Amino acid sequence: MRRGGSSLGLGQVVSYALMALAVAIIGLPLLWMLLGSLKTNQEIYTLPPQWLPTEWRWENFGEAWNAAPFGQFYLNSIITTLAGTGLELVNATMTAYAFAFLRFPKKEWVFVLLLAALMIPNQVTILPNYLTLSDVFGQSWINTYQGIVLPGAATAFGAFLLRQSFLGLPREVLDAAKVDGCGHLRLLWDMVIPLSRPVLVTFGLISLVAKWNDYLWPLIVTNTQQMRTLTVGLTYLFDQEGNTDWGVVMAASMFVIVPLLVIFAWAQRHIIEGIAAGATKG
Amino acid sequence: MLGRASLSAAPEIDGVRSAPQEITRRRAFWRAEWFLFLLFVAPNLLLFGIFSYWPMISNLYLSLVRWDMISPVKTFVGSANYAYLFNDNEFRMVLRNSAVFTVGAVGGSLLLGLATALLLNQKLRWRNGARAVLFAPTLLSGAAIGIVWVYIFDPRFGLLARLLGGIGISSPSWLTDPAWALPAVIIVYVWKNVGFSTVIYLAGLQAIPQDLYEAARVDGAGVLWRFRSVTLPMLSPITFFLVITALLNSFQAFDIIKVMTEGGPVDATNTLIYYVYEQGFVAYNAGRAAAAALVLFAIMFAITLFQLRYAEERVHYA
Amino acid sequence: MTRTVSRRKVLTGAAGVAAAATATVGNVKRSTAFAAPAVIKQAEPISVLYWGSYSAALGEAEQAIVQMFNESQQDVRVEYQFQGTYEETAQKLTAALQARQAPDVSLLSDVWWFRFYLANALAPLNDLIAANEVDTSDYIESLYNEGVRDGVSYWLPMARSTPLFYYNVDAFAEVGLEEAPEFWSQLVEVAPELVQKDGDTITRAAFSHPTGASYIAWLFQAVIWQFEGAYSNPDFTILINEPDGIEAGEFYRSSTADGWATLPADNEADFANGLTASVMASTGSLRGITENVGDKFEFRTAFLPKAEEFGCCTGGAGLAIMAGSPPEKQEAAFKFIEYVTSTEGTTFWSQNTGYMPVRKSAVESEEMQAFFEENPNFRTAVEQLPLTQPQDVARVFIPNGDQIIGAGLERIVINLEDPQVVFDEVANTLTEEAQPVIEAIAALG
Repeated sequence: MRRGGSSLGLGQVVSYALMALAVAIIGLPLLWMLLGSLKTNQEIYTLPPQWLPTEWRWENFGEAWNAAPFGQFYLNSIITTLAGTGLELVNATMTAYAFAFLRFPKKEWVFVLLLAALMIPNQVTILPNYLTLSDVFGQSWINTYQGIVLPGAATAFGAFLLRQSFLGLPREVLDAAKVDGCGHLRLLWDMVIPLSRPVLVTFGLISLVAKWNDYLWPLIVTNTQQMRTLTVGLTYLFDQEGNTDWGVVMAASMFVIVPLLVIFAWAQRHIIEGIAAGATKG
Repeated sequence: MLGRASLSAAPEIDGVRSAPQEITRRRAFWRAEWFLFLLFVAPNLLLFGIFSYWPMISNLYLSLVRWDMISPVKTFVGSANYAYLFNDNEFRMVLRNSAVFTVGAVGGSLLLGLATALLLNQKLRWRNGARAVLFAPTLLSGAAIGIVWVYIFDPRFGLLARLLGGIGISSPSWLTDPAWALPAVIIVYVWKNVGFSTVIYLAGLQAIPQDLYEAARVDGAGVLWRFRSVTLPMLSPITFFLVITALLNSFQAFDIIKVMTEGGPVDATNTLIYYVYEQGFVAYNAGRAAAAALVLFAIMFAITLFQLRYAEERVHYA
Repeated sequence: MTRTVSRRKVLTGAAGVAAAATATVGNVKRSTAFAAPAVIKQAEPISVLYWGSYSAALGEAEQAIVQMFNESQQDVRVEYQFQGTYEETAQKLTAALQARQAPDVSLLSDVWWFRFYLANALAPLNDLIAANEVDTSDYIESLYNEGVRDGVSYWLPMARSTPLFYYNVDAFAEVGLEEAPEFWSQLVEVAPELVQKDGDTITRAAFSHPTGASYIAWLFQAVIWQFEGAYSNPDFTILINEPDGIEAGEFYRSSTADGWATLPADNEADFANGLTASVMASTGSLRGITENVGDKFEFRTAFLPKAEEFGCCTGGAGLAIMAGSPPEKQEAAFKFIEYVTSTEGTTFWSQNTGYMPVRKSAVESEEMQAFFEENPNFRTAVEQLPLTQPQDVARVFIPNGDQIIGAGLERIVINLEDPQVVFDEVANTLTEEAQPVIEAIAALG
C-alpha cells in the first residue's frame, strides 16, 4: 500500500470503499432502529418501509418514559450493574493473580475447573439458583438486589482474560519488586493493578455491558415493579396480543442503549487498547 | 496463553534461588503461598460452587430421571433420556444445526474480523470512527437487535431485499424458509460480534514489529507470503484466544434465536442451547433438558480441552 | 385507536363500572358478614398477590380493574404483579411453587393451566363458587367448561379470545365477493384472482398463515374441526392422522402449494398493508389491526369459513387460585376473581382490551350492545362465541403439544410434505408425550 502523500492510490480508494461498506453494513441497522424510535406505529407497519419518519415523533420518548417507572428501573440497573461489575472485577483480579503468580499443586486442573464454569448453560442454573436464593438460612433473597447480583458475581472469562494479561507484564519489574521485599498483596496493589489498568477497564466494561443487558435472570428473580431492571422494564411496553407500539418500544430501547454508548464513547481508548492488550499478551 | 507450556511454567517471582539449607523455610513459604492462592481463588470458586457447579451436579442427577419440574415425584429412568436423544430425529437435526451455527458464527466473525482489521490497520482517515461503529453492536442486547433484523430480513420490503434487488437478486424468504433461516441467524450473530474480533485483531496487528515485515521484504517475500509467514503466526495467540471464547459463546447463543425464530421454521434454527430451553422451560421435561445440557457441556469441554492440549502447540509465542 | 384514546377510555370505563360496583358492594359485604364474625371488619384487609401477563395498554386496563376492585370493598387488597409473557409467567410460577413463593392468584393461558392442575397446585373452586353464589350458568359454556375437570372448576375465564376471519372488503369486491366466504371453497375459487404478482414475487396473497408454531396450531384447531376431524379425543386418543385430519392437512398444503397463501414474518402487518386479502387472527388483534389499517382500505371481520361444517375454538387466558395459599387468602382471592369475571367486570375488561366478554349477561347488557354499535367488527366475534368449543386436549394438555402440532403444520405448508406422513409422525410423538399426562391423571384418581 502506498503511504502518505495527498494523492490517493487505487489501493487506497478500494480500502476507503471497503471501509465505507463495512460501516454501512454495521451502521444501517443501528440507524434504522434509531429512526424507528421517531416514527408512529402506523408508519413502522407501513410497507414498503420509509427511512425517514414523515412526522418526527419525539413524543415516543415521553410516552415510553411514562409507560412504566423507568426512573426506578434505571436506579435498579445502576445498582445491580455496579455491584455485579465490582464483584466480578475483584474476583477476576484475585483469581487471575493467583493463577499467574502463586504456586499451587495441580494448579492447571483448578484452572480447567474454572474454565468449565464458562460451559455451564444459563438454562441449567436458573431453577436451582432460584431455589437456593429462596431460602438463604431461612430468609428469601428473591426480589432483592443481592438476589439479582450474586449468581453473576463470579467470573471465569474475566479471570482468563486478566491472567493472560498478567502473564504478559514485564517480569523484570515484578522480580525487582519482589527482591525489594514486596509481599504479594503489595505487589498486586502497587504493581500489577496499575500496570494492567487498560485490561481492567476493558473487562469492567465487558462485564458492565453483560450485566446491564441481562434479561432472563432479573426477570425470574424479581417480582415487583420496584425491583425490575431496565431490560426487564422494556417488557412492560409489550402487548400480550401483539398490538405493540413499536415506536415507543424502540424509544425505550434507547434508554437502555444510550448510557452504554456514552460510557463507551468516553472509554473508547481504554476499551480498544485494553481488550487488545489483554488478548495479545500471552 | 493458556496451555501446557504456560500452565506448568508459571513465572517464579520469589527472587532469590534457594540454597539447600533454605529448603525447610521454602516449604513453609510455599505453604503460605498455597494458602494465599486458596484465599484468592476462594470467593470466585465458592460462588461458582453454589451458583454453577452445584446446579450442574444436580443437572447430572436430573438427566437420569423423568420430572416435570413441578410435581414432588422424580421417576428414575436410568439412561432413557440419553437414549431418547440419540434416537430422536429432531435431536440429530439440533446437533447438525449447532455444528453449522457454530462453524458459521465463529468462522464468520473471525475471518471477517481479521479482514476488517487488516483494512483498518492501514493509515486511513476516519478509521477510529469506523472502529467505533463496528464495535457498537457488541453493546446491544441480542433481543433488541433481533427484533430489528426481523424487519430487515422481510423478503419483499426489508432493507436486505431492497439492497439485493438493487443488484438484480431476488431475496430468499429468510426467516420462513428452512434453508435460509439458519444462515439468517448466523448473519445476525456475525454482525453483532464481528466488531469484537476486529478490534482485538487490530490491536494485535499494531503490535507486530515492523522490522519483521522489513526482513521478509528483504528476503523477497510478496504481500501474500508476508501475510502467511509473518502476520498469521504473529496473530496466532489472539486467534487462539478468540477461537476458544467465540466457540463457547456461540454454542450458548440464545437471545437472537429466541427472538427471531424460536428455533423454527421446522426446527431449522433449533440449536442445542435452544433445545435445552425448549425441553426445560416450554415442554418442562427436566430429564431431557438436563441430558441435552450435559451433551452440550461435554462437547464444549472436549473442544476446549482439545484446544488447550493440542491446538496451542501450533500457537506461535513471540 | 391511539394510546391516549385508549387511556381515556380506561378512565371513563372505570368510572362507569365503579358506579356499578358500588351497587354490588352491599351484596359482597353481606355475604362476608354471613361467612365470618363481624370482628373481621375491623381487621386489616387481607392482601392477595396476583401474577399476570398484561403490560402496555392491556396492563393499564389490568391495573384499572384491580384498583376498581380494591376501591369497591374494604376486606381485600389485591396487588397486581406483571410477570412477562404467558410463557414466562408459567416459568416463574413453576419456580415459585418449588420455592413456596407462589402468589395467591395467577393468570394462566390455555396451554399452561393444566400442568399446574396436574401437579395439584390449583385450588378447586366449586366450594368458593357455591359459597359466593356465583351463577356459573351465566358464563359462556365453552369458556367455562374448558377449566372444569370431573365436574370441578379450577380455571375461570378472564381474557379469552377466538380466531376470526379478517378480510379486505375492497380486495374481495374486486373479485366479486361482496361478503366473507361462507365456505373455504369460495375463497379458493377466487383466490387466483385475488393474488397479485410482480414477476415471481407475490405482492398480494389471498390468505396468509401466521409464523410461530403455537399460533398456527391454534388456528388449525378450528380448521381440522371444520373438516370434521380433531386433534384428539378427551381421553388422549390422537386423531390428527385420521382421514378427516389428513383432508384438513391437504387443504393447508394446497394453500401454499397452489400459491394463494403466503407465510410472511408477520401476517397481521401484511394484512394491514394490503399484502394479503385475508387472514385468520385472534379477536385480540382487532384493536391493532384497526389501528394499522387506518383508512387505507375497508376491512371487516367474519365467522371463520366452513369446510364441511363450522368450527371455531377458544383461546386466551383465565384465572386460577393456588392450592398452597391459606384458606382465608383463597377466599379473598376468589372475591377478586368473582369481581373480574362479573357482568360489570368482564364488560369493562372486554371494552378496554378487545377480549371476549365471558358472561352471557354481559353480552346482552345495554352497555355492551352500545359498544357493538360503535364496533361492528367486535360484534362478529361475540356472535361467533356461542358456537366455539374448548380446544382438543392434544394441543392444550400435552406438554409442548402446541409446538409439536405446529412444527408438523410448518412442514406441511412450508416444506409441502405429505400430510399423512407428517401427521403420522406427529401422532406418534403426541401419543408418546401424552403418556406421562395420562399417568398423572390416573394418579389424581
